[in-house]
Amino acid sequence: MTDLTRRRFVAVAGTSLVAVSTVPLFAPRAFGQAKPKLVVIGGGPGGGTVARYVNKDSAGAVEVTLIEPQRNFTTCFFSNLHVGGFRDFKSITHTYDKVGREGIKMVHEAAASIDRDKKEVVLAGGRRVPYDRLVVAPGIDLKWDSVPGYSEAAAEAMPHAWKPGSQTQLLVKKLNALKDGDTIVMICPPNPYRCPPGPYERISMFAHVLKSKGHNRSKIIALDPKETFSKQALFMEGWEKHYPGMVEWQDPKVHGGIKSVDPKTGEVKTDLASYKAALANVIPAQMAGRIARDAGLADASGFCPIHPESMKSKMDANIFVVGDACIPGDMPKSAFSANSQAKVAAMTIRGELTGSRTFPARYSNICWSLIAPDDDVKVGGSYEPGDGKLKAVSTFVSQKGEAADIRKQNYKESLDWYAAITADVFG
Amino acid sequence: MCHADVGARLVGLAVSGVMICIGTSLGISAPDLELGRYLASECVTCHRTATATGPIPNIFGMAEPRLTTLLRAYRDKQLPNPVMQQIADRLNDEDIAALAAYFAQARSP
Repeated sequence: MTDLTRRRFVAVAGTSLVAVSTVPLFAPRAFGQAKPKLVVIGGGPGGGTVARYVNKDSAGAVEVTLIEPQRNFTTCFFSNLHVGGFRDFKSITHTYDKVGREGIKMVHEAAASIDRDKKEVVLAGGRRVPYDRLVVAPGIDLKWDSVPGYSEAAAEAMPHAWKPGSQTQLLVKKLNALKDGDTIVMICPPNPYRCPPGPYERISMFAHVLKSKGHNRSKIIALDPKETFSKQALFMEGWEKHYPGMVEWQDPKVHGGIKSVDPKTGEVKTDLASYKAALANVIPAQMAGRIARDAGLADASGFCPIHPESMKSKMDANIFVVGDACIPGDMPKSAFSANSQAKVAAMTIRGELTGSRTFPARYSNICWSLIAPDDDVKVGGSYEPGDGKLKAVSTFVSQKGEAADIRKQNYKESLDWYAAITADVFG
Repeated sequence: MCHADVGARLVGLAVSGVMICIGTSLGISAPDLELGRYLASECVTCHRTATATGPIPNIFGMAEPRLTTLLRAYRDKQLPNPVMQQIADRLNDEDIAALAAYFAQARSP
């Protein structure tokens, strides 16, 4: 850094010496260089985690900027529990107040594009934010036209609620307005999509609300483009046990194909039948968030290929992609996965920018799903780089017919996990 | 598995814990705290805000032999929680020593 004043140099050097004495795990770069810059796009469980871990573990040696347009972030995970009436909306909504106080530069503005040649993020207002390393964690975008008749405008009548916030609130409002005998139709998404057990946990929460209100004549029709789904045996056992006759799940062999939805009339047509939905929950196909696709980080699948050893983009050595926007191999797209991927990315980035030690990448995931009060099931796995992807090295899933105390314990675990992971992401 | 259950089973595992302590005292290589800190980032996803009474126990400040014994017991399937069995499954003795040493001296994430 040629324009560094003597005074500035002393300040920088002093900071580094303090860091060395208090945080022995940090290896500083040579004195006299400008602080390397990490910019993170997206403040969810992937992006928020990378920002906080690099900021803390580098002890101020890396300048960290987190770009997230929302000041209040509602988590998609646990939003089903809000649908079921187990959590209020406020309890799944978080601020970045603590993140900002930790020294991370918060930019509450949308990132419009990435100039990969100049290594700059262009904000919606035109300002440019330079980076040495960039983390792209924009989550998902919905493929509106994957369901004939559906659109962004149609989501006001037929909410997807697969991006949390106002859509979640709209879904709950419509659910609470149903009368006994009304029909709910869910259109499930094709693979790959955010939160594989999510649609089926949501069906369970719908059924719980209907049962609680005594709406015994109501039905939930689930139209699925897939022939199987996550934790299928567990959900089907639970539906039969808690909500007998209420849930009708149809695979493509049964419905013959989803032909159209009409947001004006609530009609949903398949190849074999037509349903009048008082509530239609349409969850379309998904792809990486727009900014990742526009920057050329995605492949033909619409998601972003990464190197499994580091979460580094295969398209750009200065960019990492974590969370739902990446191609996670055997890992599911979940908040737990995003948080786990973020820690590998943070370690790698810190190593590249400060010379600190790095270790072989390890990943893990656990997903809890609530079927009924105190009846919670879980699935999980450990993952490592292998065969060019994030490869499962071990997995587990809850068993059918488990004792009630195990299922109740699972639910309590999930509450502890939510508190822990949101503290990990938001402080 | 609740915290109390783990405590009860630990009585039966005490002998192996003593053996580990002896191993440590004999001067077998010192735990790698930096490795422990990295591995611990996986643990905090669930244990970060744990309390003394919750189903997910607090492990910050836990005595080194106790956490070592617990992790080995999960790895050896002597304790039943499938989440912890899976987490511990890929931990070798060096990993467990590093984690136990890290959490023993860490009071918060």
